[in-house]
Amino acid sequence: MKVLLSWIRDFVDVPGTGEEIGGLMSLRGLPLEGLEPIDGLPSPPWSRHEGPDAVLDFEVTANRPDCLSIRGIAREIATAYRVPLNSRPAPRSNADRTSDAGVASEITVTIDDPDLCGRYVAGMADVHVAASPEWMQARLAACGVRPINNIVDITNYVLIELGHPMHAFDLRRLHGSAIVVRRARSDERLTTLDGKERVLTADMLVIADAERASAIGGVMGGAESEVAADTATIVLESAWFKPQSVRSTSKRLALRTEASYRFERGADVTAPPEAMRRALELIELTGAGRARGPLIDCHPRPHEPRELTLDAPAIKNLLGMDVPHAEVTRILRSLGFEVQTLGSWQASQPDAALPVGQIGQVWRVRVPPWRVDIQRKVDLIEEVGRHYGFEHLAATFPAVEQAPPPTDSRIGRDNRVRQTLLATGFSEAITFGFVEHSVAAPYANGAAVVKLANPLSEKFAVLRPSLLPGLVDAVSHNRRHGRRDVRLFEIGTRFAAAGETRGAAVAWTGLAAPDHWSGGQREVDFFDVKGVIEQICAALDADASFVPTTREYLVAGRAAEVHARSSVIGVLGQLNPSIAESRELPMSDAVYVAELDLELLSPAKSTALRRAEPLPRFPLIVRDVSILVDDTLSAETVRGTIRAAAPPTLVDLREFDRYQGRGIPDGKVSLALRLTFRAADRTLTDAEVHAGMDAIVAALRNNLGAIQR
Amino acid sequence: MIPIDTSIAPDRALSVFQDELSGVRTDAELQALRTRWVGRKGSWVAAYMDAIGRASPEAKRTLGRLANELKRSIETAIAEREAALAAMRRAPGSVDVTLPGRRPAIGHRHPLSLVREEVQEIFTRLGYQVLEGREIEDDYHNFEALNMPADHPARDMQDTLYLAEPVAPPGDFGPPQGPPSASSGDGGRRGKAPLTPQPLTLLRTHTSAMQIRYMEQHDWPVRLIVIGPVYRRDNLDLTHTPMVHQVEGLVVGPNITLADLKGTVTSMAAALFGDSSGPSRPFDAAQGPELVEGRASSTDDGSLVRFRPSFFPYTEPSAEVDIRCIRCKGEGCPICKRTGWLEILGSGMVHPVVFEHVGYDPERVTGFAFGMGIERVAMLKWDVEDIRLFYENDLRFLEQFGYGRS
Repeated sequence: MKVLLSWIRDFVDVPGTGEEIGGLMSLRGLPLEGLEPIDGLPSPPWSRHEGPDAVLDFEVTANRPDCLSIRGIAREIATAYRVPLNSRPAPRSNADRTSDAGVASEITVTIDDPDLCGRYVAGMADVHVAASPEWMQARLAACGVRPINNIVDITNYVLIELGHPMHAFDLRRLHGSAIVVRRARSDERLTTLDGKERVLTADMLVIADAERASAIGGVMGGAESEVAADTATIVLESAWFKPQSVRSTSKRLALRTEASYRFERGADVTAPPEAMRRALELIELTGAGRARGPLIDCHPRPHEPRELTLDAPAIKNLLGMDVPHAEVTRILRSLGFEVQTLGSWQASQPDAALPVGQIGQVWRVRVPPWRVDIQRKVDLIEEVGRHYGFEHLAATFPAVEQAPPPTDSRIGRDNRVRQTLLATGFSEAITFGFVEHSVAAPYANGAAVVKLANPLSEKFAVLRPSLLPGLVDAVSHNRRHGRRDVRLFEIGTRFAAAGETRGAAVAWTGLAAPDHWSGGQREVDFFDVKGVIEQICAALDADASFVPTTREYLVAGRAAEVHARSSVIGVLGQLNPSIAESRELPMSDAVYVAELDLELLSPAKSTALRRAEPLPRFPLIVRDVSILVDDTLSAETVRGTIRAAAPPTLVDLREFDRYQGRGIPDGKVSLALRLTFRAADRTLTDAEVHAGMDAIVAALRNNLGAIQR
Repeated sequence: MIPIDTSIAPDRALSVFQDELSGVRTDAELQALRTRWVGRKGSWVAAYMDAIGRASPEAKRTLGRLANELKRSIETAIAEREAALAAMRRAPGSVDVTLPGRRPAIGHRHPLSLVREEVQEIFTRLGYQVLEGREIEDDYHNFEALNMPADHPARDMQDTLYLAEPVAPPGDFGPPQGPPSASSGDGGRRGKAPLTPQPLTLLRTHTSAMQIRYMEQHDWPVRLIVIGPVYRRDNLDLTHTPMVHQVEGLVVGPNITLADLKGTVTSMAAALFGDSSGPSRPFDAAQGPELVEGRASSTDDGSLVRFRPSFFPYTEPSAEVDIRCIRCKGEGCPICKRTGWLEILGSGMVHPVVFEHVGYDPERVTGFAFGMGIERVAMLKWDVEDIRLFYENDLRFLEQFGYGRS
């Protein structure tokens, strides 16, 4: 809300510069968003302002429609500066037009729907349409309103000054000299002031004459009844419309106006007569014309002021500070509340907030009609706290009254995964939760993806079924910006019709180890990524096994499922080059990816070391065996055969060489395995180990057709 | 090479020497230069010494001083160059310790993850429970229970992304049960049971939705933070992304006050922004009162943080926390719109309507809640001007955070 300092001073004699006022008001709930010094504005004859002028732009929160006006902001400033508010605008008029009662009006006002229009005040004036005075144009322009002609300017002036929207009709265009406030007929059409034809629906409120709609209630007037250069008599409207109705109408028509903005937040139902008097006063004062006839005030639902009680202990209990009683009443009265001191009140029952017998001051408070936001006691406490000043609050901390509860175990799990990945050279990425539909589809593994009803664009149309599409795009971004070696991971949420799951994904392209002058560079391969997955599973105490699989997004024959804890917990493999290419990655780049479902990997039990194993007391014996087998036999099969045949003293078994090529027949592979034997209770003898090895070699030969080399 | 000429004054000869020295590349050349300039016989300096012998008594003094100065300057310069030449080489057979080491690959932290961890640490030390909520929510938890019914103007503050088709609510919503809260007896409930689960229809617009879910399932006291992504229907630009991260705090108990909120959030802000040149100032509960903004006027006491009234539908009173503008230090600049302050956090005392929705008795308990954008903190902390950088995952950006530069 842009307000002119000199205009504010019509209402409150406040000292200080714009900066000073803005600085203090920022601490009182009206933050200053901008300040524009302004010089040499023509001012009205009654102006009390001296010194440099400025436009102050205050941020008015959605709960304070009463501050969408000069007077509303002046009221806040007056309270903050402890000075009186001149609540009636200058200059003061002598005439009170409501006293014309008894004189017949030339027009009739009918409210068909008192639920949507709680009050309608109409007045008339004979006018000469011309430009408004310079001071009025200057004030409006400073507050961001374009001057049009004296009549429109006066309605806008009242809008800015008192916060109440008004509208002027040309009497000639009101058929039957009647104003009917009714719901629109379905498909009723009205061309609004902006020249657009609007198609109305039955839940919208219109201001009509005897025949047809001439304005959309609380939103915008119609073009036909607009005040024109030759308008001789106007009908002024000052009404109150239901916030929800104005809001839905304005939203549906995509038509936001200064009027709708105020009505939808809640206007003051007692303001219409005052705004009307002010407008007529300004018409006479600026020579724009003369008021004609009595005011009509249709008020089907009289306002009933809200009454609340406030007590000092409640203030103390919520704010954590004592506010002097005199300050409580001063602040509330200055803001327009009526405050009646009810005396002391003795707490009669035990209450956590109030020791038995404590005495507290109690007030009865009547809420002013413009304060639509004040509904409860806490709202009053906020008013008191806000103007007493949050700077008076001590900075304290809530007492700890019980042992801190355990932290969500998922956070510890995710941290372990994060640390493992950082330590293996992956940098942490964060990508959006939504992706393009066609990009997401291959990763959904046949399941439906969750679509958004109102996505920002096709690029963000569905919720990601996997972290991989986002991560692949991040790899592509880095590749396109000159990075050859990229390792990225993300820990985040994936979405499916069945709900959300936390996942961890990695993507790796380029060298397997950082480039070094000593050479030995090698591109990343399947086993690099598998090793990372094995480390993560180890970090989470899960025994992982790997099973060949196929996925649309992975290269056939280079893809595996990860099995652990009797579930498929993830997938890894080489990204399908056609997908890589579609994401602008070079076809020649091998990109390896993996994704794990962390929900299935939550630490199953306490991961604290359960019992430290004593170190072995007896030596170990190592034997190597070298065999020739079919190269399609999996390592798992070979290991299984060995384990099945081995004595219980076999404590470790690992592949240490695998060779195909010269000297090895086609379709065969030479495998070298290292076996470690140890007994917990004695030193093994050569003979024992020898017998064990014989059994193993025999099993390999008999079961797998292996030839010992 | 200029022939030795004692008619050139010794002080001017120095520049001749320096020219020659600048051409020297090897040890041998340096030794030759030494002989030519300061050798016992046939050098420039030797020639000057001879000339002194022949000079008049008054000229002797000056010439002698200049010649000695020349000699000293030359010897110093030669020694320096000798050392520099030596430093370029290593002893035969030794390891060249200046060759790059074989660095193990190590990843870098995402800046948002770093802020998240910092906040988490601050609150863990204060005894808060750290929780994660769900990202798909229903209208009730995201809006209605937070005092934002369907036509509430505050809903405009957060344009919502809706799902094309609702997703069935899971049986268990997530956070683990806290310890049994025997101390709170009936928990101050007025007997309102949690609602039957509703279909999930939208992406949460704030982590506040989690407040409701937690309170529905747990009695007070409550002391928790929730961190995670939230979604808004914002187009990408310098300061907006459709997904951002938030941290939300909630404390509920019989004696929680606005002063407690002020202490908590202003101290957190001071801990996060206290010292941008190094690790944050250690968080110290006792120093709270010194961090606040001062007196009942617009005069400025030079504090780092201020706590001022604001509005949110689900808190009453509401407050925002500003920090002194990072860029202009409070002088006024375009970043802070010339106010000298930057808003970083919204907060307030839990609105009684919210308590009523979860079945807590607002006459028996009070509470505070706050919410802060992680991106905003990171942008201010590290002077990041474009929020989109957080989501591009460009390694040139990420490598500036975490474990040092690669």
